[in-house]
Amino acid sequence: MSTSETTPPPKATPPPKATPPEKTEPPAPAFEKSYIDQITNQFTDDVEIGYIKENRTRINVKKEKIADVAKFIKDNTPFDHAESVTGVDFPEDKEIGVIYHLGSYTDSTYSKQVLALATRVPREENPNPGNDSTKLPSLRDMFYSVEFHEREVFEMLGVYFEGHPDNRRLLLPEDWADLPPLRKDFRNKGR
Amino acid sequence: MTEQVIPTKQMPPGLQVENVDDRIMTLNVGPQHPGSGHMRIIVKIDGDYIVDADPDPGYVHRGEEKMAESRNYITNIPHLERPVIHDSCNILYPYVLGVEDLVGIEVPERAKYVRVITAELNRCIYIQYWLAIYGIFLGHSTMFMWPAGDRELLIDLMEKVTGARVTHAYFIPGGVRNDVPANFEDVCLRQVNYFEKRIKEYADIFYDNPILKARTEDTGVLSREDAIRLGTTGSVLRASGVDYDVRIKEPYDVYDELDVHTNVLKSGDSYARSKIPWLDMLESCNIIRQALEKMPKSGSIRTKLKPNPKGGEDEVYRRVESGRGSAGCHIISKSKPEPYRLKLSVSSFRNLIALPYLLKGEKLGNMPAVYWSLNYWPVEADR
Amino acid sequence: MSVIAPKFRLGYFLKAIFDNAFWILTLVTLAGIPAIQIALFLMPLPVIDGELLTAFLAFTWLFNPTMQIPLIKALLYSDLFRIAAFPGFGFAALIAAGTIFVERKMLAKLQLRVGPFYCGKIEGILQLAGDGLKLISKEIIIPAKADKPLFWAAPVLFVGTAAAFVALIPVAPGGWVVADLDVGLLAVFAVIGFFPIITILSAWSANSKFPFIGGIRALHQMVSFEIPLILSLLGVVILTGTLNLSEIVESQSNFPWIIFMPIGAIVFFTTMLAELERIPFDLPEAESEIVAGWLTEFSGMMYGLVQLGSYLKLYAFAALFVIIFLGGWTGPVFWPPLDAELITEGVPIPNYVGDPILTVATPGLPLFDKDPNEWVQQQQGELMYTSGQLLISGVIWFVLKTVGVIFFILLPRGVFPRIRLDMLLHIGWYKLIGLAFVNIFIALGLVYAGVIGPGGIL
Repeated sequence: MSTSETTPPPKATPPPKATPPEKTEPPAPAFEKSYIDQITNQFTDDVEIGYIKENRTRINVKKEKIADVAKFIKDNTPFDHAESVTGVDFPEDKEIGVIYHLGSYTDSTYSKQVLALATRVPREENPNPGNDSTKLPSLRDMFYSVEFHEREVFEMLGVYFEGHPDNRRLLLPEDWADLPPLRKDFRNKGR
Repeated sequence: MTEQVIPTKQMPPGLQVENVDDRIMTLNVGPQHPGSGHMRIIVKIDGDYIVDADPDPGYVHRGEEKMAESRNYITNIPHLERPVIHDSCNILYPYVLGVEDLVGIEVPERAKYVRVITAELNRCIYIQYWLAIYGIFLGHSTMFMWPAGDRELLIDLMEKVTGARVTHAYFIPGGVRNDVPANFEDVCLRQVNYFEKRIKEYADIFYDNPILKARTEDTGVLSREDAIRLGTTGSVLRASGVDYDVRIKEPYDVYDELDVHTNVLKSGDSYARSKIPWLDMLESCNIIRQALEKMPKSGSIRTKLKPNPKGGEDEVYRRVESGRGSAGCHIISKSKPEPYRLKLSVSSFRNLIALPYLLKGEKLGNMPAVYWSLNYWPVEADR
Repeated sequence: MSVIAPKFRLGYFLKAIFDNAFWILTLVTLAGIPAIQIALFLMPLPVIDGELLTAFLAFTWLFNPTMQIPLIKALLYSDLFRIAAFPGFGFAALIAAGTIFVERKMLAKLQLRVGPFYCGKIEGILQLAGDGLKLISKEIIIPAKADKPLFWAAPVLFVGTAAAFVALIPVAPGGWVVADLDVGLLAVFAVIGFFPIITILSAWSANSKFPFIGGIRALHQMVSFEIPLILSLLGVVILTGTLNLSEIVESQSNFPWIIFMPIGAIVFFTTMLAELERIPFDLPEAESEIVAGWLTEFSGMMYGLVQLGSYLKLYAFAALFVIIFLGGWTGPVFWPPLDAELITEGVPIPNYVGDPILTVATPGLPLFDKDPNEWVQQQQGELMYTSGQLLISGVIWFVLKTVGVIFFILLPRGVFPRIRLDMLLHIGWYKLIGLAFVNIFIALGLVYAGVIGPGGIL
């Protein structure tokens, strides 16, 4: 047991099913729902709920509103840092998804929670990183810790982050002239 | 002369023009340097003070995440442990837990205890290696030899269990690969007791050494707010006063049945950051002893998987406390045997943001002490 | 030498022997003998027993038992022997070689390992010879933009200065010092002041960033620790009233100076560690920050020369500490370790009946006595110790004390991490100078109180 935690977070058990035996999903855990509702009540049509599971929640945001939602989360909820930024390539939907995982260090009731903030940007066939339509506003001013993660998403998937102070390559060599590697068009040798 | 240089021809993408100032010298603490590990830090110094530090990782980038997309969940295991070869159990742990969530299998009790024991052993092995290199960065050759030598005790144990000294590839979804040998509990207890006695001596030669204290105290101070804002994790976070350890906050496997304490120091300087992993090692010895007592004496160590395990249209994110901090694994699966996207959220990469932040304004002589005290493993950050 | 030996054929073996013999004889007759003749022609020849010692006379006397000892003694007291063998270069190099071996072994035992083990049958004794051969056989790489004359000269200058330092150290009573100066201590300070210049020259001439930083750091370190070095020794100078190193040792015949000047000894020890660039003060060669500091661009035998000079300096500093604070060669005379009657009366050797017909005297090796009749004087009770006895026991005490001091210099290498540059400068300019001044005030106090010094109680 931890040495400095006061009470464990309240766990919600799904209520027993009293409805006819058709498949209904158990209602979402109450604690997680509470802070998700805080966000969805603020931004009603730009935000939709991805899923609410125990300790893990996800909201999908339109890309124009991502900066405002992030600012709202930073100011009003105890989430204070971003743990990681994942970029996913969906070539069939012609979109690239970017998912930010947010965590909380300051509030001990929130220490198990990880909130996934997801957006999508349009994807082009021939990418020109920095100069085409795959652009997102950078969340670095709200969550400082995404600085290197966003640089990695830029070089691996070609998503340009506007407002990022230093948007250049991190892991790839300086003279990389091929497709951004994590796109599905970029095939591994022999696979 | 510091006039702007306009490039006259098209620069290839990714290259930049840098204007040179007479006063500032650019040093390449590069990969071929005894003080940098597998990474390059471009340091601009003005006399003895660092004006700007630009980390340049990527020298050991292997494309783990891209490779994971073309291999199925079982064949992903040997290459996913390569980012940290001596802490391999802790790197595989979040992946294995995630896959178990996706596929929906239960792990038997004995397998959970074996996993916890090997994970703690690996944590000690990694921290000893890190401590050895920290000693040699500061010029203390005895502190290089002692941890490297004591580490061999634990590597012997891991070799008895898994067959390999490092890169064990021991965890698989559903349990562990094979059972521990017959008299493992006694041998492990004896060696862990001796190991604990040895590492307690480090206090005399290293942590109470006045030169070490004078060199690392009050250097690279990371305040509590900055540590939270920069999103650091692991020993860096706990040295700045934030009590956060994934084993306690979000227990996985049998950590909720064991008695785990975290060590928190408030000063946030390099000395505290170098002391916390050592205290963590002492804590690990306690955990191993408790787990050895409570481990069920018999039982299966693996749940049988169906061939080509696959998850549904699902997404999972699991976290684990590795030797450096919280390691996470984010898996997006689409009903195929291969993961659609696998992202390793490693603690070294998360702590890297603290490096340029702390080195600005620091003396050049403090650079190795501050840099390595961030518990940074370059291979893991590059994946 | 990774060639598999071909099968043995007697013809090839005899051919090899004949070839070697032919070439050796040719070179000796055509080049060696004329060189020796020229050297003997130009060298001033000694006069022994009233006869000029030419080369042929020397060879004749070598096989004459009564004339062997004067011949060897003349050789012992010549300048060449003093410079090359004892107490000069050969003696210092031998102690330096022993120091390197002991350092590696001791450090290894401290760090739970074994150290040199395979080279040489017992515990890797020949490791140093192996390392020397390796360094000689390596290619010497000069950076393209380096300042070539300075770069080549730097290691040689370094060894030369270290040898000059060794030349000023008296080792045994009776004037056994290569350069017997009346202002010996001042000459030591002058030579020590030369080392930073050589360091910065070799660092600058390499024309590369890491040697540059290393050389600047070495300059800062050496210069900032020279003042406390000089000041800490001045206390002893005040107490003895002389700068001559041999006389300083003579003045300690009853007690070593470390009893009255402990602070001075500590300050001198610390500055000694800094001048030698030993851990914890090995900033100029800080491996994890600036590769190898000002030694980065040296390779092969140049590096070997720098290491040799470094360890010669180590011996010289330790010897200086022993001379000034620990009493040099003073100590009870215990050579030869035999009963007093055996020395004065001799050992009677009986014949088969039991009558002593032969008496063998062991007067303490007349070989090393200055005057051949000293042992007779000792037998008759006029002289307490012959100069040979003083010499040998003095040398043994000196070596023991020096080895002890060297042990304490080697020990911090296993225990301390490296110190940082600004901390080093702070120590050198503030704390050590302060302590050295306290030491001088103690010395002045003792002299004015009439306790020690010229005209004092002790």
